[in-house]
Amino acid sequence: MNQTEAFPGSIANVNLRQVGKNKPRNDAPTKVHGKAIYAGDFYMEDMLFAKVLHSDRASANIRNVDISAARALRGVHSVLTAADLTACNAVMTDLPGQTGGGTKDTTQPILAADRVRFHGEPIALIAAESYELAQQALDLIVVDYEDTEGVYDPFDSQKPGAAIVYSDDNIVADYKIRKGDIEKGFDEADYVLQNTFTSQYQEQAFMEPEAAVAWVDEHEILNIRSSTQVVEHFRAVANALGIPHNRVHLQAPYIGGGFGGKEVMTIEVWLALLAMDTKRPVKLIQTRENSFLSHGPRHPFTITHKTGVTKDGKVTAMKIKLTSDAGAYAKLSPYILLYATVGATGPYRVDNLWVDATSAATNNLPACAFRGFGTMQANTACEAQMEEIAKLIGMDSLELRRKNFIQPGDPNTTGQIIRSSVWCDQCATQALAALGEQPSNSEHLVYGHGIACYQQSYGRIRWMKDTSESWVGLEMDGTAIVRCAVTDIGAGQMSALAQITGEILGVPMDEITVYFGDGHVNPLAGTSTASRALYMSGKATELAARAVRDNLLQCMARHFEVSPDELDLADSTVFVLDNPERRMSIKDMVKLCAAEGVHRHNLSIFKAPPSEGLDPETGQGEVFPDFTYGAHAAQVSVDIDTGEVTVIKSVGAHDVGQAINLRAVEGQIEGSALMGQGFALSEELILEKGVLKNGSFSEYLIPTSEDVPEIQSIVLESRSGLGPFGSKGIGEPVFAPVAASIANAVADAIGTRIHDLPLTPEKVLRAINENKASR
Amino acid sequence: MLPPFDLSQPQSLADALQALAGKGDTRPLAGATNLVPDLRGKRETCRDFVSLDGVNELRYIKRDGDRVTLGARTTMADILDDSGIRTDAPALYAAAEIFAGRMVRTAATIGGNVCCGSPSADTVPALLTVDAEVTLSSVSGQRTVALDEFYIDYKKSVLRSDELLTSVSWNVPPQNSANLFYKLARRKGDAITVTGVAVMIAAEDGVCTRARIALGSVAPTVFRASAAEDLLAGKALDEAIIEQAARAAADQCAPIDDIRASADYRLQTAFSLTRRLLTQAWKQVS
Ligand SMILES: Cc1cc2nc3c(=O)[nH]c(=O)nc-3n(C[C@H](O)[C@H](O)[C@H](O)COP(=O)(O)OP(=O)(O)OC[C@H]3O[C@@H](n4cnc5c(N)ncnc54)[C@H](O)[C@@H]3O)c2cc1C
Repeated sequence: MNQTEAFPGSIANVNLRQVGKNKPRNDAPTKVHGKAIYAGDFYMEDMLFAKVLHSDRASANIRNVDISAARALRGVHSVLTAADLTACNAVMTDLPGQTGGGTKDTTQPILAADRVRFHGEPIALIAAESYELAQQALDLIVVDYEDTEGVYDPFDSQKPGAAIVYSDDNIVADYKIRKGDIEKGFDEADYVLQNTFTSQYQEQAFMEPEAAVAWVDEHEILNIRSSTQVVEHFRAVANALGIPHNRVHLQAPYIGGGFGGKEVMTIEVWLALLAMDTKRPVKLIQTRENSFLSHGPRHPFTITHKTGVTKDGKVTAMKIKLTSDAGAYAKLSPYILLYATVGATGPYRVDNLWVDATSAATNNLPACAFRGFGTMQANTACEAQMEEIAKLIGMDSLELRRKNFIQPGDPNTTGQIIRSSVWCDQCATQALAALGEQPSNSEHLVYGHGIACYQQSYGRIRWMKDTSESWVGLEMDGTAIVRCAVTDIGAGQMSALAQITGEILGVPMDEITVYFGDGHVNPLAGTSTASRALYMSGKATELAARAVRDNLLQCMARHFEVSPDELDLADSTVFVLDNPERRMSIKDMVKLCAAEGVHRHNLSIFKAPPSEGLDPETGQGEVFPDFTYGAHAAQVSVDIDTGEVTVIKSVGAHDVGQAINLRAVEGQIEGSALMGQGFALSEELILEKGVLKNGSFSEYLIPTSEDVPEIQSIVLESRSGLGPFGSKGIGEPVFAPVAASIANAVADAIGTRIHDLPLTPEKVLRAINENKASR
Repeated sequence: MLPPFDLSQPQSLADALQALAGKGDTRPLAGATNLVPDLRGKRETCRDFVSLDGVNELRYIKRDGDRVTLGARTTMADILDDSGIRTDAPALYAAAEIFAGRMVRTAATIGGNVCCGSPSADTVPALLTVDAEVTLSSVSGQRTVALDEFYIDYKKSVLRSDELLTSVSWNVPPQNSANLFYKLARRKGDAITVTGVAVMIAAEDGVCTRARIALGSVAPTVFRASAAEDLLAGKALDEAIIEQAARAAADQCAPIDDIRASADYRLQTAFSLTRRLLTQAWKQVS
């Protein structure tokens, strides 16, 4: 096995043949032709269909659950409640391999026993001959609730006497940063500005709802084929059920989007229990309405910024308070809060810094991972604050940013030295220029431009000691195979591995087969989360491919009587660099090497740079492997009679390190432009006393095709990242600045700031009217 | 999940009317773009439907002199594909253009939109501004009702359970007229209207000869702002009188608070959009 640690040397000036090019993705044909198989597409003989009874209230004691009528229904094979799970009614919601830093307790009941803590908490599981029968059985279950006083606000829940939802004080996590001299920083300031910004619940709204089939096979292995971002959950499933890890086989087929919503376990344990109870395959595809209740949405945050700044635009101090609503269970709230804490100052260097961050439990929906993972919320507030500071001191906001951008070699919020390039300035400048002229206002419409920059990590928290493995081999006919259990959540994870392997082995992408998603026949790659899939599994694949290449070229060097570095591989041939006439097909090369007993394959592991955690008093330490930087700019119009906002142009400019597949990068930028637009303008889960009021796509408003603005992607490549060929993670980063740029554009258009997202027409009109009145 | 339900599929109007006759809770099903969400959302209790899918004789756009008639099965996409509706009923065309999204427009029918009785039905304000009439048919005969007299209350109309709405018709607006529609919603596609306003202004010799103002989503039913219309008729319009009319229109609203918007916001925008559309319409005709 090959082992390498991070931080590559410079790889500028390498001549790339496949990487960075617009190659059609390997997964495109099967998806375009509708042949790709998703978790919900599997059928098995004797399969049963499941339904889940979700609590319809947020805070209640359960006096009794009467399932007798449901069980008696013909065709119903299993009805399970907490009473059936006395041996094991707990499932860990932490991530595999993580150490749970800051978390007191990450377990959660599989089924509510004597108490429900949130709307949607599962109470009973049903398996029946059809969904219709399962639904009939579900309708026959009688839950005797006793409503109890709940708490629905993370500030209320921290007050003495508040209803207790979690632990003994409702505090799910807290962090602080104490850096420099905060008093001195404010003393040095010419201006001090304080603002509080709030943001809302956002639903992942992936196209494919939770779906899985579970069955126990002839070897007594529990198989689960699930739409999950994390096949490593097989361990948590096994732990919850009290069976050995090696008897749970969790596979992920193609996935119709996750965005973090399939990062912690969703329906896997439920199906496992039903399959074990009925000894038959059991399938569940959540309805859209239940999907809203089956994974954690984005955390609402309240963020107060107090900033000191000199009259020439140097930020001298920041005091930031972050509060997130964790909802009823911890899930990943501590990590998300940590990301927000580290990202509290955006892409800026702040030497005198004070951050207090708290995540408090309530009886609201348990919030969880969602693209941006806390950093996005923190960055959105920070970029609004920067704009307000610029306005206060009368400076161009990009100029203000330029005076404060963190630089390579600078310490960030937690004292970690930034090692890669920081191209915020180039990105912001190009994005703004791409917006072009601002149209002049008309009778009803005012126009505005907005910009936002960001810093977002890629790769897991370093004390989780993240690794990824991949296997690469050449076949006797010159084609190649990659085995890597990365989950393909639709962003081209699988295809990227083919492109990387093809570059290194000189084999065309479409002659490379990638086996992915199945962690029991392929080496484990780790999660498709944290913008780490390409970075980690790509790097492991790169290492494995390079090892194969080295083996074969050593053998061929003897054959051609040159040194290995005088040889290259391209277009399915091996050739002498100086004399390309001297060549051999890869097929013949493989045969020749195989006959000499040379290894044609390699299994590599890639280890992310580790660290040992934060000093709890100062919040100093190394948290992330590296960061991606960039900017987004937006042009909007606002109707001053109605408050309607139209995004006209949306431009993302990002230093992605190195694009592996340029179209895939653009796909991420375009998708994030819309997801960020939804967050800025229309998306919001509305809860009344914890009960979700708009859990459907007619009331929860993601942007539709009719809402799509002109989107432009500007891709810059510093090749300074830790990923293959100097790439950086981009899935989350490209999303981080979008909503902030739109909010800044609206503020520019109407001349006043709305501190509370989303910017609904009603809020915008109110702000316009208040602004008019105050003049 | 969709509950189980019965569906008959007649192939002619006569069979469809027969299927509706004499039975208790049997309802027509056209594009099902209201019915399916309502069944899933448990808002619809009927479990016996008569599909109009095979009743092609209800899918037409006909012109007879100044009279335009749409069969009830005409879809929003049909309206947009027709070469004449843009001039025969400009506000209706505008409503069809911003109606839902492309997928729903190909299924949603004009009959379903009128009969669903929703105060946010987008074609209704537009149709009210051209004084549309609806034809209601049953095995025992047919009657024609002014659309203005069709609605009784929230999702209640004069339509009997054995009746089918078979057509919608109106006279092409006069020469010098403007007919406008504005849909205010929280996003551009597939959105439920927060405030909908349609106006029709006809003018001769600098005087407003006909004024129609209809508002959606600001009361239990779509309605005509008759007091405001009366203020305008016979006058040369100016800023002051338009403002007065818009105020009168807002006064006739009885909006509610819901998760899409507050009543207050609906009132404000009913006023400002009425004012805006009247101003634009007057500019076009003068
Ligand atoms: C995603 C989405 C977006 C939407 N956007 C809009 C929008 O922008 N604007 C808007 O106004 N609406 C919108 N709607 C609602 C719906 O599409 C419209 O009201 C549509 O016109 C209903 O027509 P239908 O043919 O689908 O009616 P159906 O759902 O088939 O029927 C609706 C009701 O009318 C009755 N009915 C239907 N036809 C007749 C008839 N000929 N005679 C008697 N009764 C009849 C049915 O019994 C039922 O009660 C939207 C719906 C969806 C799902």
